[in-house]
Amino acid sequence: MPTASVTVPVRPFAWRDGAWWRARAEDLGTLWRRSLRFRIVAITLALTALTIIIACVWMALAIQNDLFESRKTQALTDARRAVDSAQATLNNAVVQDDPVQVQNLLTSIQGPLSQQSTTDMTLAVRIDTTPSQLAPPGFRSGGLEESMISPELRKHVRDQGGDEKQWAQSIALPGPGGTPLPGLVVGQQIIVPDIGPYELYLAYDLDDAATTLSFVQVTLWIVGSALVVLIGAIAWFTLRAVTTPIREAAETSAQLAAGDLGVRLTVHGEDELATLGRSFNAMADSIQSQINQLAELSLVQQRFVSDVSHELRTPLTTIRLASDMLNDRRDEFDPATARAAELMHAQVQRFEVLLGDLLEISRYDAGSVQLELEPTSLARLAEDVIVSMQQLAEQHGSDVRLVAPGGYSPVDMDPRRIRRIVRNLLGNAIEHGEGKPIVITVDSNQQAVALGVRDYGLGMTEADAERVFDRFWRADPSRRRTIGGTGLGLSIALGDATLHRGALTVWSRPGHGSNFVLTLPRGPAPVEPGSPIPTDPDDDASLDDLGLTQPIALHDLPDGGAR
Amino acid sequence: MTSRILVVDDDTALAEMIGIVLRTEGFETVFCADGAVAVEVWRAQRPDLILLDLMLPGVDGIEICTRIRAESGVPIIMLTARTDTADVVRGLESGADDYIVKPFNPKELVARIRTRLRPGTSQSGEVLRIGDLTVDVAAHEVRRGEGSIALTPLEFELLVALASKPQQVFSREMLLEQVWGYHYKADTRLVNVHVQRLRAKVEQDPDNPKIVTTVRGVGYRAGAIV
Repeated sequence: MPTASVTVPVRPFAWRDGAWWRARAEDLGTLWRRSLRFRIVAITLALTALTIIIACVWMALAIQNDLFESRKTQALTDARRAVDSAQATLNNAVVQDDPVQVQNLLTSIQGPLSQQSTTDMTLAVRIDTTPSQLAPPGFRSGGLEESMISPELRKHVRDQGGDEKQWAQSIALPGPGGTPLPGLVVGQQIIVPDIGPYELYLAYDLDDAATTLSFVQVTLWIVGSALVVLIGAIAWFTLRAVTTPIREAAETSAQLAAGDLGVRLTVHGEDELATLGRSFNAMADSIQSQINQLAELSLVQQRFVSDVSHELRTPLTTIRLASDMLNDRRDEFDPATARAAELMHAQVQRFEVLLGDLLEISRYDAGSVQLELEPTSLARLAEDVIVSMQQLAEQHGSDVRLVAPGGYSPVDMDPRRIRRIVRNLLGNAIEHGEGKPIVITVDSNQQAVALGVRDYGLGMTEADAERVFDRFWRADPSRRRTIGGTGLGLSIALGDATLHRGALTVWSRPGHGSNFVLTLPRGPAPVEPGSPIPTDPDDDASLDDLGLTQPIALHDLPDGGAR
Repeated sequence: MTSRILVVDDDTALAEMIGIVLRTEGFETVFCADGAVAVEVWRAQRPDLILLDLMLPGVDGIEICTRIRAESGVPIIMLTARTDTADVVRGLESGADDYIVKPFNPKELVARIRTRLRPGTSQSGEVLRIGDLTVDVAAHEVRRGEGSIALTPLEFELLVALASKPQQVFSREMLLEQVWGYHYKADTRLVNVHVQRLRAKVEQDPDNPKIVTTVRGVGYRAGAIV
């Protein structure tokens, strides 16, 4: 059987692909944005490099120019001296129209010419092109050829070379191995008696100057590069002296912002950084003293509230004892006095509850509340509360149902406080539920347990619902109070929930009732958004659907729950 | 026989009102408004029970409680305006049998007083054994070998409650009901503190209790008879 072969496309080996480079570029971008030091060093390096490049180029050009000029001047001087000397020899010679003598004469000046001009590359060409028996065509030595001289130079020398004028031009000389060498050719006329002017060219080798130049240039570039690197390094280390204190200041301010009011910068010297440090410390001092002052004020106020509450307790006890006593004997009084005793008794009790709530609030404000945690089943706790408030619910005609798909397993909580929350929520639901059913839902997920109390009564507007946890706030001041809370109940409930690192949220809509959801975390982590029971009950679930999902009716509720 | 009750409170109005309530209930009352002389008044009057305000000018209630406890096991009920853990526990540790938080109602006050004044629950002439101790219920006496251990009536009652049912584990709530007479959820710190005080008196090594043993997560039980 033929086996199916799978050819795996072999990716051409790529050392770094585009993504890698993009990532590096991004890293650099991040560094550029985040690090002042990196940015400044980069800028310094770029500017220094540019400056040094300009300086080097300019210097190289200047040196090159100067070297050439001085070499040229020297060449011209040497050439003139040599030519003058040769001309003198020629002028003193007597040739008597003898070609051999002329030839000898020309040959005889070649040696001194070469010596005095310090170059052995010479070329002499007769200007007059009419053939002459007497005149030799010229001479050459050192490999200088007519073809190497540019026509322009020759033209200048030929046409305007009288009066001992010199002309010079750069040329390429054949070097060893065929590589052209930089050179300079100086042209001048020389006059041979009886024959006429000759073009005389002396070529100078500039290779040594070029070597010097390239050495100077290389040195320049090396020094320049070294300077750039050095300046970069200096900037890097100098900046450290600046950025380190800045970073310290940043870290210290972060600590301060995080609430550690005691942190200060260490200040050395009297420079700008020291001034920054001192100003920072002064600011921190000022903040700390202000905060301490505020904290003290708030502490004083909290203590005052606590003290007042406690001081009120002793006279309240006397009043309480007296009113109880009078109330117990009200049968012995006339009806008006009896009623007065009754009223006083009731109001003293209310006053007492109010005082208790006030004290509880002052404890939250002082942060002096200690939770007494024990593993408690929220569902069982809810059952207990429902049973204990059964009578009140019946008086108001409300049918209280418990729907508890979860929340049975024990979770650490302060049962006294949680019971108080549930009593409070249920009490509110009964009071505002207008005799309609009330549904208490208990459910849990991995992170939290939750309890929802839903009534189908009056409900509140959104604006009212937002203020429902405010102290002494009432949704409708004109609404008749039947249970008579203190106006602190929900504030305390919220405080208790917060102490448990839990949440207490509300949903309410006029005419649709309200839904309060208490969520408690299972562990020590604060409760995350997303309670096992949604705060918004998704109000499509109308009253008729109640209890259908989990018909768990407990404790002989009149309706039985399961319809 | 009418019981005599010493009310130590600097608030004269409250003291007088408490006096009215108590006399209505048939008690005899003595008052002391100054903490500094409270111990002397107690020595002079020898009341059957003391109602002691925790916060007094001069010598505070906790100090008075400690001094009286040094001499006698007379029932002491503290009156306190503060329910904060530290205050209550300090008061109980100084030897108070029970406490009532202001404001209280007359029935509660009277009920607490009556519980503390009632004669011991088991009046039988039996002699109980717990650990290496012998508890003579009728004689109100606890002996280890030949030596006798002095307990307050409350501590004695706590020990008898445990010794009379050596097999049973008592939850704190059960003890609160049986010894303190609370029929509703009350402060279990009462039990904790008094078990500590009892152990300090009856145990050879209070850190390693053999008489009143702890059952983790449930409560207490009597140690095995040696």
